[in-house]
Amino acid sequence: MSVAAPRFYFEDVVLQGVLETPAMTVTEAHVALYAGLTGDAAREHGLVPDLLPLCLTTGLGWRVPQPPLAVLAFMGFEWLVDSPLRVGDTIHSRSKTTLKRSMKEGGVIIEERQVINQRGEVVQHGKFTFLVAKRPA
Amino acid sequence: MSEPGRQYFEDIQVGDEYLSPGRTVTEADIVAFAGLSGDYNVLHTDAEFMKSSIFGERIAHGLLGLAIQSGLLTRGMQPYATLAFVGLRWKFKNPVKIGDTIRVRAKVVAKKETSKPDRGLVTVERTVVNQRGEVVQEGETDLIVERRRA
Repeated sequence: MSVAAPRFYFEDVVLQGVLETPAMTVTEAHVALYAGLTGDAAREHGLVPDLLPLCLTTGLGWRVPQPPLAVLAFMGFEWLVDSPLRVGDTIHSRSKTTLKRSMKEGGVIIEERQVINQRGEVVQHGKFTFLVAKRPA
Repeated sequence: MSEPGRQYFEDIQVGDEYLSPGRTVTEADIVAFAGLSGDYNVLHTDAEFMKSSIFGERIAHGLLGLAIQSGLLTRGMQPYATLAFVGLRWKFKNPVKIGDTIRVRAKVVAKKETSKPDRGLVTVERTVVNQRGEVVQEGETDLIVERRRA
């Protein structure tokens, strides 16, 4: 007998539903691992490379009280950096689905996402576009 | 005093082009990125599940490709005197699979004045291609770059 892991399908996504993730502290270790892996470094010592919070928000995004979204493909995104993040800052992310469009194969969703620091300031924000599977018949 | 070896706003021209070296994306890169980001989505981590997907195998995280191209381009150009990274618009066109070799071509497409006289906005268009010349990712990045000080 096989039991399928629960997944969150296109039909399950709630338009305008807001999801908050747990928080994480961005450390020197994250910056060093990121720099070693990608070759992309911070502009100055003590700052977090600008693309690292964007990368971390994708992991945080799975840590919400619902099964994982059945993503077929990450199609694209727009992103703005509002203020620099420093080593030792603690971030979490907040997201809201603002568009659902049913397609022949799955459906497109647009999610607005913010990265927020320990003082409640939005440090980065933007929109992600995903192709999501529909619930199997 | 301006620092030598860096490109200031005045040094950058619309139409300037850069080409990075190539880099082969390995299974280890994907595993390391999953560990760092916490993104363990099956697309990147479950080889068996992905056999029956449209891709047929695990694919690299889109943002791993983005981060790698950012690192690669720093090896293909003289650095800008960047004061801030403003943002980007980005599209994932094709998957990056284990063993694919990617490089980035970039071109300055716009320069704009800002409200502050000591800096300007530079927009760089970037195209990430694989070993077959297929575009895997593309987009534009906006940077605030310092002007030369007299």
